[in-house]
Amino acid sequence: MSAFCNIRPAILAAALLCAPAAPLRSQDTPVKPPAETPHVPLINLNESVAFEVCPHTGMMGGSGTFGLKLLMTYSSFSLELAGEQVIGHTANLYPISINAVLNLATHGRLIPYGAVGAGLWMTVPVNALGAETVSTLGINFGGGARYFITRSFGVRLEAKQYFTSISDPRGLKNNLLFFQEFSIGATFLFH
Amino acid sequence: MKTPAPPAILLLALLLSGPGGVRAQPKSEQSLSLSGGLYAASGFGTNFYTSGRYDYFIPGGHYFVEGSLGVGSLQSKVIGSVTKARIFTSDNLVTYEFTFAYDYAPGGALPFFMFGVGGVREGQETHFAGVIGLGKRIPLPGFLGSNALGFRYDIRDQVLSQRINNGDPFIVHNIVATLGLQIYF
Repeated sequence: MSAFCNIRPAILAAALLCAPAAPLRSQDTPVKPPAETPHVPLINLNESVAFEVCPHTGMMGGSGTFGLKLLMTYSSFSLELAGEQVIGHTANLYPISINAVLNLATHGRLIPYGAVGAGLWMTVPVNALGAETVSTLGINFGGGARYFITRSFGVRLEAKQYFTSISDPRGLKNNLLFFQEFSIGATFLFH
Repeated sequence: MKTPAPPAILLLALLLSGPGGVRAQPKSEQSLSLSGGLYAASGFGTNFYTSGRYDYFIPGGHYFVEGSLGVGSLQSKVIGSVTKARIFTSDNLVTYEFTFAYDYAPGGALPFFMFGVGGVREGQETHFAGVIGLGKRIPLPGFLGSNALGFRYDIRDQVLSQRINNGDPFIVHNIVATLGLQIYF
């Protein structure tokens, strides 16, 4: 009996040392890490067909421009209908074109793109008595970027090169004309 | 020991903060407005002018973009009665603008500042113009039973290069002042 009394403190000490181990072992069971929330990009052009309306302004060959572009986009490809007014001193130019746009990104805020297209150019003289509207065919190519601030609104920058051929009034030869355009505008996206 | 705030500071704080709760802009992304006022065409006199505007508010409320279309007249009694001259093919005036605005205090007393570009069509002549201006949007909560209506005023300067009868071009400033009703959605 006395021997048991002598070892009782040692048993108690051993029990105390072992006791904390039991609840700790309960954590040995594998615990799944919290599931990561999937990153949802602000803009995802792969989701569905998207439509954009882009009013813009800029400069073409030293003249101010205003225009409106309508886009139908699915993934990397957009079909664009563009109309503009180029305000000149002696004439106003109205290029209307259909363009194919290749989006170089389909996710995120920044969407760079390249574009190529063709259309009709109408030159309407101002204050020139007897002068008539001249219509020619033209092609264009260029590139730019759209940066979306919200899911439905962004800004758009673009640079383009235009070509058209105009024959002189006597029809003796054709003049190939080159124009550069730089534009800035807004874009409104609808799904 | 705390020093009591001078009455002038308290009064100033009340003036600046008071309208905030009342004039807070509705939580809207867009608005349409119809405005009327005066258009002072440099050299051609002042006539009535009407304008429709679309605004898109960038989240945060301090910035917005605006597209607008306005119509007016270039009638001038002086030119018509004194010189009998006809400078443009018609007296019709059409303007369109694309502007960017910064509103430091949408609910406060300070006006917003805007700048952009515009087209000014006088008769058959169109001019490319730079536009700067000031304005204020004052939402009218509860007006006509709606929280989506507001009042606005705008003062703008359209700066453009003009040429009359093949003379040398010169810079003109056309001043536009309008009042209007705005609906948020």
